[in-house]
Amino acid sequence: MFDKILNSKVWAFFFKGYGFLFLGFLYMPLGLIFVYSFNANSINMAVWTEFTFDWYLTIFGGASSQSSFDAAFTESPERIFEVVKHSVIVALSASTISTVIGTATAIALARYKFVGKRFYQALLILPMIVPDIVLGIALLIFFVGAGFHLSLLTVIIGHTTFLSSYVFVVVSARLAGMDTSLEQASADLGAGPITTFRRVTLPQIMPGVVGGFLLAFIISLDDVVITYFIAGVGSQTLPLFILAMMRRGLRPQINALAVLLLLFSFAVAAIGLYLRSRK
Amino acid sequence: MTSADTIQKRKRRTLILLLAPFSVMLSVFFLIPLGIMMIYSFLEPGLYGGVEWNWYPYNYGRIIGWPLNDYEEFEPIYLKIFLNSLQIAIMTVIGTFLLCYPAAFWVSRMKGAKKNFALFLITLPFFANLLVRIYAWLLLLRPTGFFNTVLQSAGLIIEPLDLLFTNFSVIIGMVYILTPFMFLPIYANVEKLDYSLVRASQDLGANPLQTFRRVILPLTAPGIIGGSVIVFIPALGNFIVPSFLGGSKVQMTGNLIERSFLQSRDWPFGAALALLIMASVVALVVFQLSRQAKAESRGVS
Repeated sequence: MFDKILNSKVWAFFFKGYGFLFLGFLYMPLGLIFVYSFNANSINMAVWTEFTFDWYLTIFGGASSQSSFDAAFTESPERIFEVVKHSVIVALSASTISTVIGTATAIALARYKFVGKRFYQALLILPMIVPDIVLGIALLIFFVGAGFHLSLLTVIIGHTTFLSSYVFVVVSARLAGMDTSLEQASADLGAGPITTFRRVTLPQIMPGVVGGFLLAFIISLDDVVITYFIAGVGSQTLPLFILAMMRRGLRPQINALAVLLLLFSFAVAAIGLYLRSRK
Repeated sequence: MTSADTIQKRKRRTLILLLAPFSVMLSVFFLIPLGIMMIYSFLEPGLYGGVEWNWYPYNYGRIIGWPLNDYEEFEPIYLKIFLNSLQIAIMTVIGTFLLCYPAAFWVSRMKGAKKNFALFLITLPFFANLLVRIYAWLLLLRPTGFFNTVLQSAGLIIEPLDLLFTNFSVIIGMVYILTPFMFLPIYANVEKLDYSLVRASQDLGANPLQTFRRVILPLTAPGIIGGSVIVFIPALGNFIVPSFLGGSKVQMTGNLIERSFLQSRDWPFGAALALLIMASVVALVVFQLSRQAKAESRGVS
């Protein structure tokens, strides 16, 4: 009768209502930032005065009607451009390198037998399990001890380490559901391993590889904790910049910046999720 | 058969080539740093930051009361903060579970495109920046924030409520950022739930509550436990959520670690605290893996 209960009208209604509350809990706070980002009231964002684009314009250097008070809390467009550039450099390099490394490893584990494979597999997902803060300080101690200058390079290295694990997991999932007979056929017909990989394996796992790349890209772009410990003075990324802004006080410009970052992350994530869901 | 030999050799070479990059990176930038961190926790803090290479187990003494020397004192506050972190992490697990369990049933009863869309909507916030999500709760909870303004203008309260800087606000923030981690494993289990077993239980005369407790809950337990583990781990070590939603009133071990690295520059002490977190995580993961292995050997997936 339990499934009958689940199917009954009252329960269906209850579940539906709950479901919408659940989605409301997930999206209402984000929606609030979105609404606030158009509110001209810079003293109390919770009180609506009038609609404005000013907070977005300040990001791109086109602010029109700012009071000197607001201007004192506004970051210059040059500075924002610089930290965005840092974030993009890090995210692109780290996700590209980790896609190559993660994919190679996933293929090795899916197609070859060797001693200690299970142990190795467990080792590979360890960087995903270790708490961010532990990985962050371990890398900080290591970089300082080994004489690395904290810079974008150390951030890229740090990100690549744990992002490779993510790509590995995503590509492995793709490989697990793949038919190996095509690869065998290709080999039987005389294709070398490189040709087989390029013409048969890669096209089949491509959605997984691209999905893994996008996942890595987003995680790198959004990473706060690990970057916090291993970024140097001149290598601030966008999330660290927002963190510093939030520590100085909540100003409307953060709303606009947050909305832009949110829209970009969601767009990339949507493409990634779509590719992964495609069979 | 020399040709078989060369094929074997070539295969070996490809395998090594494929595994080399990750292996090197994992060793140099993951295992060695973790090892060094472990060593650091047993070294003497330098006078002006950095470390002296002397055996110095007293960093742990400050936290757990043993061993101690003339300079280091046992400070129960560190243990208290650790226990509070454990409490917050456990409450976060309970909160995400209560939130996600009914939602998983809701989604599992959907069909086709609608189901995919609901899953998409629930997964999407995971990709929102951590800071942006915490920032949203600052806007909601602070004295001049959304909730207080609404309650005040409705005339329900006169003075703004202290919603921020409590264990509660930290737990809400944690639940908010970690919900997708709990939802997906639970959903994977609920989706596979075999309703013929549920019907059998009903046919044998169990009431709905008994059916839930004896059949549905045990069948979905692996997802609940899996989700709990992956929510608990990031919650325990978190320092961003408490630093914004907990202020100086609610401290977690993560805040202590951050401060000993970036402010007081007592690295060995911070490393010792980090190892405390690591030890809890390792214990939990070992528990989970052994449970999984046991379930596999019994033939239950």
